Amino acid sequence: MGKIKVATQWLEACAGCHMSFLDIDERIVEFFKHVELTSSPLTDLKHPPEEGVDVGILTGGIGNEDELHEAQEMRERSKLLIALGDCAVFGGICTMRNFFPTEEVLRRGYIETESTVDGQIPQHEDLAPLTDKVSGVGDVVPVDIYLPGCPPTADAIWHVLTELLAGRMPKLEGKVLKYGMDGG
Amino acid sequence: MSEIHLKINDREVTTQSGQTVLEAAKSAGVEIPVLCHHPALSNWGACRMCVVEVEGMRTLQTACTLPATEGMVVKTHTEQTFDIRKFVLELLFSERNHYCMYCQMSGDCELQDQAYGHGLDHWTYPRPYEKQEVDATRKYFIMDHNRCILCSRCVRACTEIAANHTLGLRNRGAQTMISADLNVPFGASSCVECGTCLQVCPTGALIDARSAYGGREKDVTHTQTTCMQCSVGCDLDVVTRYNRLLRVDGVWDSAPNGGLLCVDGRFTPLYETRKRVVKPLVRKDGKLTESSWEEALGLVADTLKGSTCQGLAACATTNEALAAFAGLMTQLGGQAGRLEPVAPALGYGVPATVADVLDADFIIVAGAQPLEYQRVVGYFIHRAADKGATVAVIGDSENALNKRAALSVASAQAGVVAQAAADAEKIVLVYSVGIKPEVVAALKPLGDKVSFLALDPARNGKGAEAAGLKPQSPTKTDVAYILLGEQPVADALRVPAGFKVVQTAYHSALTEQADVVLPTPLWYERSGHVTTLDGVDKSLQTVLPAPADVRDESVVLAQLTALLRS
Repeated sequence: MGKIKVATQWLEACAGCHMSFLDIDERIVEFFKHVELTSSPLTDLKHPPEEGVDVGILTGGIGNEDELHEAQEMRERSKLLIALGDCAVFGGICTMRNFFPTEEVLRRGYIETESTVDGQIPQHEDLAPLTDKVSGVGDVVPVDIYLPGCPPTADAIWHVLTELLAGRMPKLEGKVLKYGMDGG
Repeated sequence: MSEIHLKINDREVTTQSGQTVLEAAKSAGVEIPVLCHHPALSNWGACRMCVVEVEGMRTLQTACTLPATEGMVVKTHTEQTFDIRKFVLELLFSERNHYCMYCQMSGDCELQDQAYGHGLDHWTYPRPYEKQEVDATRKYFIMDHNRCILCSRCVRACTEIAANHTLGLRNRGAQTMISADLNVPFGASSCVECGTCLQVCPTGALIDARSAYGGREKDVTHTQTTCMQCSVGCDLDVVTRYNRLLRVDGVWDSAPNGGLLCVDGRFTPLYETRKRVVKPLVRKDGKLTESSWEEALGLVADTLKGSTCQGLAACATTNEALAAFAGLMTQLGGQAGRLEPVAPALGYGVPATVADVLDADFIIVAGAQPLEYQRVVGYFIHRAADKGATVAVIGDSENALNKRAALSVASAQAGVVAQAAADAEKIVLVYSVGIKPEVVAALKPLGDKVSFLALDPARNGKGAEAAGLKPQSPTKTDVAYILLGEQPVADALRVPAGFKVVQTAYHSALTEQADVVLPTPLWYERSGHVTTLDGVDKSLQTVLPAPADVRDESVVLAQLTALLRS
């Protein structure tokens, strides 16, 4: 049997979930005996291959049009999609802006912050427009496995990955089902 | 009370009539999930987490409100109950801000625990993202409505335990909010900051300003000790981490207070701002100078030898220290007394306990301000009043209890109260140093129908009584030895003695006059005993160690005794 193809991408995220994945430490050697990482934010190729992957992993919420597009692309190209971390699962810390109108958030962030002099709201065709609200991945595309946590612990991530490698749908309970930093 | 037999999860369970299905299940070792239920509070049945299947009943029933009955057949953990509980959790998470990642309760939250227990790995329903208020107008704790699940535990704690009736619910349905009084900021409300609501809140809606983010349950240490802020002697559960005082909780099911504390027991001592005495001080060239214990005690012993001496104790220390103090003064042939006045003996009636207040039907308050000085007693009077007891206040100055009193008269009219109480079943007279002789006389016709609770204005007045210390004023002697502990002292207190030794935890107007100052431990650094209003000896546990140069009074007094013998 060939290696299982896995792609990851981070959306509106702090990168902590990917760091927590790296915290599986030496287990990563075992992991790559069975897995080909086709693309990830940490490697050269950023997008999952057109021919698709077995498992897509998304971290981070959906906060702008680009992230929406990335999520849709990953969904289309993955047989099984994992939302990893509180942002991908619930929208996470970036949903703090959902309590305010987007314009107010931008004004506060770029103009009114106490340390800002002559600020302006950045506008450029390369910049993706913000969505009205930040949401979890599951709010925009179907998700197969949710793994909450801020970040999920390396053990929780390892649990999900090894269960999948063993051909089982992972069941989250006990120490691997934690929100926020409660698992750490 | 009769025995009831029912079946819970195919097991025969025997319980008492009057028990709920939840209680019966608990006694049989079956834990039914709850959120709005709290064992110290009345049952509410609001959250629907505790739903169970009962044979013959059309719908699921809330176990917390359902009385157990003979022959009942209950199933507590079925697929249906699990699904419904998970659905309830989904609805709760869909309402306000329940993002654990930036909540100080994460790790100790009952809502979070239930979500874990029901495998809630994501949320099904969209969230409205409606911004709710954060009310930080109170000094010691904060209300974040965004985290509130409207379980109403706080409302019931305020109503049933503190009997203060500040909290309520306003609006209906999804618009329901916890409110103080007629919807005023908490800081401007009738809240007395007893903190009972804070202790029962299952989520991060009520936040203790000091201990928030200071450590989760798994990181902290709990030490049980006795409150030394007044004479009631409530049990405290002191929470610490890394030698830092985080929080004080009440201890449910403890006497006399049953978990209820007041602002002085729970919060105030954690915000102490007075300057601590941490080393012995000796006056040299007119200035208090740090010295060794050897030098300071040597000086005190030398001065005491052959001098006239008066010992005055603020009863703010342990029984052991007060006894050692009285012993030393007697050995020196000096006078020994207490600084605080003492409530006079009545000459009639039988002694009451603090808990007797709760089931009195007529409470007379005379010359006492329990809501100011022994607050838990004041709250107990409120609780009794809620149950229908008549409260009569006798006094010649403003009393916070007047608001809830059916009768409020000046000392000269005390006879009116005696008449009103004549037909009562259980009369409790709560009085203190302010009681006038004419009031004592006017109430005398009630005789032994009166159970009396004499509130001692000192923290450990009963301990002082046992040590034989009676109120004294400072007199002109060669040496004054003042055992102050943590007690604040009136600026006006003048001690005419030629040489003054003050044993105290804090700098004050009195240390300014002192020739020798000896540092004492604080309430949470002590071990030993105090005697409560009920006459019970309660132990003090050392929660945190005292600074290196601070010694307990009883140790110091023993050292002095030895020095004087040599």
